[in-house]
Amino acid sequence: MSSTSTAPPSSMAPSSVQVRNLSYFFGKGDLRKQVLFDISLDLFPGQIVIMTGPSGSGKTTLLTLIGALRSAHEGSLQVLNKELVGLGNRQLVEIRRNIGFIFQAHNLFESLTAAQNVEMAVELTGNFRGKRAQAVDILSQIGLAERADYKPGALSGGQKQRVAIARALVNQPQLILADEPTAALDKQSGRDVVTLMQHLAEEKGCTILMVTHDNRILDVADRIINLVDGRLESDASPQQFVDSHTTKALDQKMFIM
Amino acid sequence: MKRTPLALLNLIHDRKKFLTSLAGVAFAVLLMFLFTGFKNALYDSQTQLLEQLNGEIVIINRLKENMFVPRAFARRRLYQAQAFEGVEGAYAIYISDARWKNPDTRKTRPVRVIAYNPSDPVLPLPEIMARQQELRLPNTALIDERSRAEVGPRETGVITELADREIRIVGTFSLGTDFASGNGNLIMSDQNFLRFFANRGPEEDERSFATADIGLLQIAPEADIDALVVALSEGLPKDVLVLPMGGPGGFIARERTYWEVNTNIGFVFSLLTAMGFVVGIILVYQILYTDVADHWSEYATLKAIGYDNAYLFGVVMQEAVILSVLGFVPGLLISALFYNLGATVTGLLFQLTLERVVNIYLMTFIMCLISGAVAVRKVQHTDPAEVFGL
Repeated sequence: MSSTSTAPPSSMAPSSVQVRNLSYFFGKGDLRKQVLFDISLDLFPGQIVIMTGPSGSGKTTLLTLIGALRSAHEGSLQVLNKELVGLGNRQLVEIRRNIGFIFQAHNLFESLTAAQNVEMAVELTGNFRGKRAQAVDILSQIGLAERADYKPGALSGGQKQRVAIARALVNQPQLILADEPTAALDKQSGRDVVTLMQHLAEEKGCTILMVTHDNRILDVADRIINLVDGRLESDASPQQFVDSHTTKALDQKMFIM
Repeated sequence: MKRTPLALLNLIHDRKKFLTSLAGVAFAVLLMFLFTGFKNALYDSQTQLLEQLNGEIVIINRLKENMFVPRAFARRRLYQAQAFEGVEGAYAIYISDARWKNPDTRKTRPVRVIAYNPSDPVLPLPEIMARQQELRLPNTALIDERSRAEVGPRETGVITELADREIRIVGTFSLGTDFASGNGNLIMSDQNFLRFFANRGPEEDERSFATADIGLLQIAPEADIDALVVALSEGLPKDVLVLPMGGPGGFIARERTYWEVNTNIGFVFSLLTAMGFVVGIILVYQILYTDVADHWSEYATLKAIGYDNAYLFGVVMQEAVILSVLGFVPGLLISALFYNLGATVTGLLFQLTLERVVNIYLMTFIMCLISGAVAVRKVQHTDPAEVFGL
């Protein structure tokens, strides 16, 4: 804990994610290996938080824990006001429906059109009647209205990732988790994608937690969390982060692609 | 608006792969149809002559276990049977094997000769009824046009030798071969039967009107067949067996049961059918597993965003069912062609009954379900957390 924690943006709004003394282990018995050590963290609505750190530092593990994709065992993990520690698989599935996921790969079904891929997420809410309208609406918000009936094979890399983002956003989740969303994109597409996410955080007041190594997009973050060897090493604004890391040494090359 | 039909769209997305998949299922369906077809044809064919016989009760020699056994009974029994109340007609049928010379190749082949008085309504096939006059002429016969090709041309006007004696074919009828019929069937009058088989040399049976091979009884419409069978069995000497024609335990069922119990046909073809079934399971498993493996990250994503295992199970099972239906149709059509071909070449009776079609479909359905259930485990065990960091 080398730096100051950033305060919530506006008033003392309730946090979307509250992590207290979270530890996590992989394996069992002699092979048991601790990957997260005593993490405490709050994420607030409207914030874009970038999580960074060298590979093996536990970023992805933390992301999957917050995303209810793994069950946590020690400490406390509250996501959207629900305690996840100790929940069963079935309940975790329920939690996940309220979270938007964006992955490094777009993971779109090649057999479905852009709209149908987005509709797959709408169907989770049971809204079958309005799913098409909802899908087309979100696609037009990200500038893909005229591509709604194209299959992924006919879309560019940036467009596919935007469709994947539309799928994550269509149910208006209060929490969005993104894993390297720009890694497969060129500079311009990557910039478009993060700008889009920035708008969403502002407009809808949702929390975005993004793991990335892409230093071209660090500027969109309200906070940058740095994870090293399973411990929270720093939690700072982008400016503080850049200052502290550039002045220290360039040998911390893990922050640079 | 309904759910996105993910299963169907995934299957048909790659047309070429989809068609190959259907061909795979159709092939398994074809295998099952062919092997059950052969089995049923061999069984069904054994009774196709018997089913044409126009009578309600049959009298045979007690030792005639099946149509292959050349045991005759005293024709007196028929006259005795006629005295029973309710018996309206008693007709003798004479059956013998004889060497038939193929007029083209001059090679002899065994055929079965069925003979009776042309005035008796024993085999009321229209082609036979129309040739009653010609049958009364000496040395004439009708030939079964579904006899095997080895007997040569199966048509009117053929003149060749039967049991070393000249015979003239005056017409054709359609019956088909079975195990006891050799290469085909001839029908002739009882008078001609005597001409051919009464004096056949020292090593052959000599036939006369004193014995008959099958006795056919026609009974009055109001008479009770079962009661009459009991009465005849008790009233006639014990050298003959009296059987009802149809029904369980009847003459036709007895013949079929004989071949079912005493040959390996059932075992062999059931085994082959089972192999077709297993081949189908493997093929469909490959198809579904490839689909699941190809879409692994997409399925994992579905799990990550909140779909449960039941939904993914449903998708793979729907794919299985779609394959079973769409693969079955071409499989059935091709099988129908093979059935026709088989019937033409062998003279056996290939029947594609609704019941058999339904049975094979059920097998196809179960085959696809088993494959689906095995393939789906890959998706079920998918850890959605692994989609991150891929």
